[in-house]
Amino acid sequence: MDFKLTEEQEFFRRSIADAVDRMILPRAAEIDETDEFPWDLWKEFSSLGYLGMRYPEEHGGMAADPVTCMLLYEELGRGSVGFAQSVTMNMLMGTYFLYRFADEAILERCFLPALQGEKVATICFTEDQSGSDIGATRTRAEKVDGGWVLNGTKQWITNGPLADFATVVATTDPSQGVKGLNFFLVEKGTPGFEPGQILEKLGCRGTVTGELVLDNVRVPEENLLGEEVGKGFLYLQEILNEVRCMTGALAIGIARTAIRDAVEYAEKRSAFGRPIGKYQLIRSKFGQMATELEASRLLVHSAASKIGAGENPRMEAMMAKMFSTEMCLNAVDEVTRIYGANGFAKEYGPQRYFRDARFLLYGGGTHEVLLNFMGKQVAGRDWRV
Amino acid sequence: MKIAVLVKEVPDLEVKVGVSDGGTELEVEDRNVLNFFDELAVEEAVRIRESGLAAEVYCVSAGDGRGNEAARRGLAMGADSAFLVDDAVLANADPLTIARTLAALVEREGYDLVLAGKQSTDDESGLVAAMVAELLGIPCVAGVVELELEEGSARVVREQPDGKETLRVPLPAVLTAEKGLNTPRVPQVMGVMKAMKVQVPTVELEELGVEAAPELRPRAYHLPPERPPVKMLEGEPAEAAAELVRRLREEAGVL
Repeated sequence: MDFKLTEEQEFFRRSIADAVDRMILPRAAEIDETDEFPWDLWKEFSSLGYLGMRYPEEHGGMAADPVTCMLLYEELGRGSVGFAQSVTMNMLMGTYFLYRFADEAILERCFLPALQGEKVATICFTEDQSGSDIGATRTRAEKVDGGWVLNGTKQWITNGPLADFATVVATTDPSQGVKGLNFFLVEKGTPGFEPGQILEKLGCRGTVTGELVLDNVRVPEENLLGEEVGKGFLYLQEILNEVRCMTGALAIGIARTAIRDAVEYAEKRSAFGRPIGKYQLIRSKFGQMATELEASRLLVHSAASKIGAGENPRMEAMMAKMFSTEMCLNAVDEVTRIYGANGFAKEYGPQRYFRDARFLLYGGGTHEVLLNFMGKQVAGRDWRV
Repeated sequence: MKIAVLVKEVPDLEVKVGVSDGGTELEVEDRNVLNFFDELAVEEAVRIRESGLAAEVYCVSAGDGRGNEAARRGLAMGADSAFLVDDAVLANADPLTIARTLAALVEREGYDLVLAGKQSTDDESGLVAAMVAELLGIPCVAGVVELELEEGSARVVREQPDGKETLRVPLPAVLTAEKGLNTPRVPQVMGVMKAMKVQVPTVELEELGVEAAPELRPRAYHLPPERPPVKMLEGEPAEAAAELVRRLREEAGVL
């Protein structure tokens, strides 16, 4: 059991960390402030070629293993979380089902440009009444001559209003719950497919999140992303573990940047004649945060490593996501306390980390849902500790 | 045209540095990067190749257990190849030894132009490049902020305290990069991938027939004195200014 990253992975991590430091970090506060999608940064970052990294080399990717991808996500989380969300959408969720199921024409038209950052991708799961409970999806897909007609409204769609194409989850049979779900490709400009209201968020600003409305949207047969009808939920399992680990990795990135800022602050800020970093209660916070951060990273990398080995680490990925996110929420809370009242000022970073961190609670399943599932596995002896 | 770039691996600018008791050993956090000024040199070399004026760019580095990171960064940025001399003898090497090593390596590989950073950010001696030029018997211009290749020569600009100086240097020559020459690129993932997979070839010091100059042995290290706490002067600007002048004259003795 080797817990160390390979030399290549370490080099990769340093390279992406450097890219984040030079390109993204200097813009993070401004992106949060203006809450506008940074198109120039998007183009600049896309040109580095990281967007395609998890896909095979023949598509211009790196065939990067999941652990190496986690290194990227962690560094991205250190920069601007909003921007990171748009990036990861193109890297994984927004493109995966095209890579898996789409024909050549769609790959040329949508998938390959997305890997270059020339097109913005997104995926649509959530609706008003369904988030974690994806089986309650109401967006309907009706089979018609030559294709499908989609009707429904999607919420909380990252990149939604900007997307050039979307992978939409729609049901062909609501009575079947998760067994009625399918993925459909819908491209911008398709009649009836319109962005709706944009959400103003507490954090992860700079990524545009909003509604997508499907009003009698007609798509051709080849836009069904799947081999069979009703298999959408099964297909989703192919990336769900990775998505959860990715969320954990982003959380670790946020926590790291928050803790590092706090270390610097604790050196410079004095109270009662000494830098506050010399006081036990402050030191205790650092000790606790660092320990939990290391634990989170081990969970994420371990689960990612299993994904890379072809396993299906469902519990481990849930644990990684949940633990890392909770760790991050604690860390950003403690960091704002270390900053005292300055933790409440827009002038300093911690308030942004505090706001951004909260969003990671929801994607990939709320913790209430995950804990219920995980607990059931343990109590029902399906998972032995 | 073949461009050789002299690179050095140095500690990251934000590492923690300490002096062990007795002041005889330096403790530096083990986090190394490609020297900032060398990065400028690599960038310039790669740009020249991309413009079609050069066919090949290679990096060379010499040190004791250091150089791999610098070489990899150079490759990630776009250098075609890199060579490393890794020998314990080079641990506390005099700049002359390093210069002899790099000159021998560059002579062996061939060059039409040699680029380097003006100095390293660790010991800041700024000597190696000029020594290499002397050993190769070619001109050296240090601190270049602008570089334009012409037929058989290079037009370079150096910044001086009182203005800019433009020189025309016959090639081959050694030119060292100063801040402002360019903005080094963030390596593309393809470059990073290539650099990740490469095994940088090492060359034995013996092969190069280099005679090491006497070793530089540090006698002692001292940390800079602790900065005294900052004193905030209160009051209206006019009052604070008067108080500041008083302190500068009477306490600090600088006026």
